[in-house]
Amino acid sequence: MSTVIDVKDLCKTYVVNKKHNNVLKNVNFHIDEGEMVAIMGPSGSGKSTLLYTVSGMDKMTAGNVTFCGKELAGLSDNEMADVRLDDMGFIFQQMYMMKNLTILDNIILPAVKSNRNHEKRSETEKRGRALMKKLGIEETADNDINEVSGGQLQRACICRSMINNPKVIFADEPTGALNRTSSDEVMCEMVKLNKEGTTVMLVTHDVKVAAKCTRVLYIVDGNIQGEYNLGGYSKPEELRDRERQLNNWLMEMGW
Amino acid sequence: MFFRILGRDLKRKKIMNTILLLFVILSTMFASSSVNNMVSVYGGIDYFFEKAGMPDFIILTLNTGGENPTDKIVREAESVTDYGQEDLIYFPAKSLIKDGNKYVEFENPGLITSIDDADLNYFNMDDEKITEVPKGHVYFSGLLADSSKTTIGDTVTIELGDVSRDFVIEGYCKDALFSSPFLGNPRVLMNDEDVQAFMADEEVKNADCGCVYYVNTDNLKELKKDFAYIPSALFAKESAVIKLTYMLDMLTAAIILVVSICLILISFTMLSFTIKFTLTEDFREIGVMKAVGLRNGSVRGLYMIKYLCIACVGAVIGYILSVPFGKMLLKSVSARLVLGNDNSLLLGIGSAIAVVVIIVAFCYSCTRGIKKLSPIDAVRSGETGERYHKKSVLRLTKSKGSSNWFLALNDVLSKPGQYMSMLITFTVCLLLITMLATTANTLVSDKLVFLFGTTESDVYFSSTEKIMETMGTTDPEALDKIIAEIEDELKENGMPGKVHVELMYTLPIEYKGERMQMTMQQCKDTKASDYVYSEGVAPMYENEVALTPQVLKDLGASIGDKVTIEIYGEKKEYLITATFSSFNQMGQVVRLHEDVPVCVNDASSAHAFQIDFDDNPSDEVIEERIVKLKRIFNTNKIYNKADFVDISTNSSSAIGSAKNLVMVIALIIAALVTVLMERSFISKETGEIALMKAIGFKSRSVSAQHTYRFVILMIAATILASALSYPFTKLICDRIFAIMGAMSGVEYSIKPLEIFAIYPLILGAVVVTVAFLTSLYTKTIRSDAMGNIE
Repeated sequence: MSTVIDVKDLCKTYVVNKKHNNVLKNVNFHIDEGEMVAIMGPSGSGKSTLLYTVSGMDKMTAGNVTFCGKELAGLSDNEMADVRLDDMGFIFQQMYMMKNLTILDNIILPAVKSNRNHEKRSETEKRGRALMKKLGIEETADNDINEVSGGQLQRACICRSMINNPKVIFADEPTGALNRTSSDEVMCEMVKLNKEGTTVMLVTHDVKVAAKCTRVLYIVDGNIQGEYNLGGYSKPEELRDRERQLNNWLMEMGW
Repeated sequence: MFFRILGRDLKRKKIMNTILLLFVILSTMFASSSVNNMVSVYGGIDYFFEKAGMPDFIILTLNTGGENPTDKIVREAESVTDYGQEDLIYFPAKSLIKDGNKYVEFENPGLITSIDDADLNYFNMDDEKITEVPKGHVYFSGLLADSSKTTIGDTVTIELGDVSRDFVIEGYCKDALFSSPFLGNPRVLMNDEDVQAFMADEEVKNADCGCVYYVNTDNLKELKKDFAYIPSALFAKESAVIKLTYMLDMLTAAIILVVSICLILISFTMLSFTIKFTLTEDFREIGVMKAVGLRNGSVRGLYMIKYLCIACVGAVIGYILSVPFGKMLLKSVSARLVLGNDNSLLLGIGSAIAVVVIIVAFCYSCTRGIKKLSPIDAVRSGETGERYHKKSVLRLTKSKGSSNWFLALNDVLSKPGQYMSMLITFTVCLLLITMLATTANTLVSDKLVFLFGTTESDVYFSSTEKIMETMGTTDPEALDKIIAEIEDELKENGMPGKVHVELMYTLPIEYKGERMQMTMQQCKDTKASDYVYSEGVAPMYENEVALTPQVLKDLGASIGDKVTIEIYGEKKEYLITATFSSFNQMGQVVRLHEDVPVCVNDASSAHAFQIDFDDNPSDEVIEERIVKLKRIFNTNKIYNKADFVDISTNSSSAIGSAKNLVMVIALIIAALVTVLMERSFISKETGEIALMKAIGFKSRSVSAQHTYRFVILMIAATILASALSYPFTKLICDRIFAIMGAMSGVEYSIKPLEIFAIYPLILGAVVVTVAFLTSLYTKTIRSDAMGNIE
């Protein structure tokens, strides 16, 4: 399996009022193709910063991130935008969408913007609708974003992140704003996507969510303190045992 | 506490507050200067007339030897309370010589007046009354008071008849009677001894001398009746008509006033947008303030103090700037008029205070929204819980264009209210420019040629000298000889053609007891049916006349009635068959049939000699021939139709200057509005911009999308302004033309390229460039700033 993300000595420092705050300190890890990696850690440990820095949304202070063979530090803003458009998908805790577009238009917007496929608008629409059907929200296609539930909206965000067939989906607490039922539905879809071959890197506080991942990285004060390899699972019944194992490991890590 | 919050707010929204301040400054500056300007010009004309001792009625005559019959009529008329009289000498441009050459050209004859005999008061450029002129010195007024042609201290020679004398220019003077650009008779004030030296010449005495009567009355209507039979007056009008000739000065002042009103309205629109935007942005702070117990009034007070501060600071700066700005606007007017507005300081301050009061009252009404915001808004992120509110108008799936254009158009159509203020601003700016441009173009368009009571000819040759030769003799063949000379000259130079000239006669007209002196127009070489009429049919017989609506109104007559006109002592009835519009004499004119027996020597004035070439040449050939004719006749006063209209209205340059000023102002306003709105949009849409960047939009795409919105708005504004331009121009300018005498029939000269392309492109280029430059600020928004999506 090839490595899609290789992080070496990654540092991120915020300077506020001339005070240097080292949020990430020489972080090293890699993610292989087809993995679903959860980043966990206490509040303020640098989880989201790590996700945004690795995905190129935030600039790193030092170190290097290689994404599918490309060193992100050497990319210009425009090149980075192209990478985000074609090779990355993003899901956020809040269901950020363009207010003036329908759900379907929001989903297909990155595909319309991308020059990669040169497909007809009708083809893009067909792909968008297919993705919506897959995630069970096809009936909301022509709705405005304030006409659907939070769970539906988050699934729409997943559709949007998938529309350009990205190599990696980055998710920042994707279930953080959802109730348990919606949360389970969303994670179910993400696991499905991962099983179909999409690599996922997500940040979560939720053990139930992390238990569905293949690997968990635990970060404290900007350092990766440890990682726990859960591997894949085939039956939902296995999840309870994975949660217990993960809980025990997290307790050991000081969770 | 309040002031700490205020200080932070002013700092945080620096650009928006600065632009608001600029709007208040501009509004105050324009309001103060234009109100002052309007009052100064409008009231200034009365003031100038009063200081100059302008009478109720003025008569200008040409003495052709012997006793002047006007003397007796004025002396014996019961309606006259008192009167004064000045002798004067008429002179053509060729009589003025500098360094051995004729150095100036003017359309109407110049007037030489003795300061010692003056019945009217004249003023120097410092507005001091001129009481004496040293012998050998002169004061110049009107067209002669042009510092680009002469300077004070220069020596000029005046040649009249056999007399030639050198004069030193003592200074320039303001002449209430003939200072307006519409009348434009230059005046030379000199010592009585110098005047008498010219008058001693027999030729001058018989052909060039005249008299001006300044008559006061208690009953103007009766006076007009009494003066109806003054023979061959060159000019006989009440001072109200003279006042109208200053209309152009008032017009420019009025245009600036209209611009100020538009600017204040635009300021209000911007204020309204900014306040509503600020309240939407500050919902959390307002909610928190209410949650901790602040009352509506206290929260509102915070915003009111901010806008009061901006309004006060803006008003003070605006007022200070209005002083030099107002002076600049009045520069050309104050060169002609003695302006005495003693209340300018109070007026300026009053206008500035009015702007502050209106702005604060408007802000108070706009901050009503604060009442609606509750503490729960702070908790619920401003969402009211209202759902199912449709926002999206277009469908990306159905669109064929690029995503940037789609997003821009969808945004404009989804939130029309947000863009309405900009659309109105751009449309108003374009309308102001195009209306003035169309008016200026119309005033130099050959479409107006009929309003001067002339037929359309290839070339117009204006020659005061030749006309004065006709009017100053008793030879009835004099005009025919001059026309024959011109025709011979044309033939000799290979461009044969026919020449004719429109002559004006001042004759008494009477209808049911209403009597007055009226300018009557006739040309022996054309037919009355060759001219344009608004209503009725052209006079076909000798006993038929056409009148302007103004004359009909003054007489109380209408088409089909018979008026009595006295010609050489013989009263005869004439049937009114038609009405027509005319700029001549501000519309106070009558058209006589070509067979009416008036003698050309009795004409009071004349238009240009009109040349119609035999070979119907093209416009290009006409232009070439004009160049040739200027050389042949050694004059610059040879025009094509459009130039003849331009020189006759003498107003296109004033309107053109006003248009240029308005264009600069409109561009500044549009640029400021664009910066203000785009910065507001960026601030409001930070989250969406970040989201776009997060999903892979490049900065230039975001910038393009924001810029495209302004392109769409400019296209919409251009369409709106194009549709409204003609009706608005007609609505406003028809009134202006009516004051000038043309009650109807003005066909506007709309230059499609200029109106529908060039001006929208200029405004569009400024708006789009400014929008693009401002949108570059989106570069600073990073993809991780999505938390701002509310």
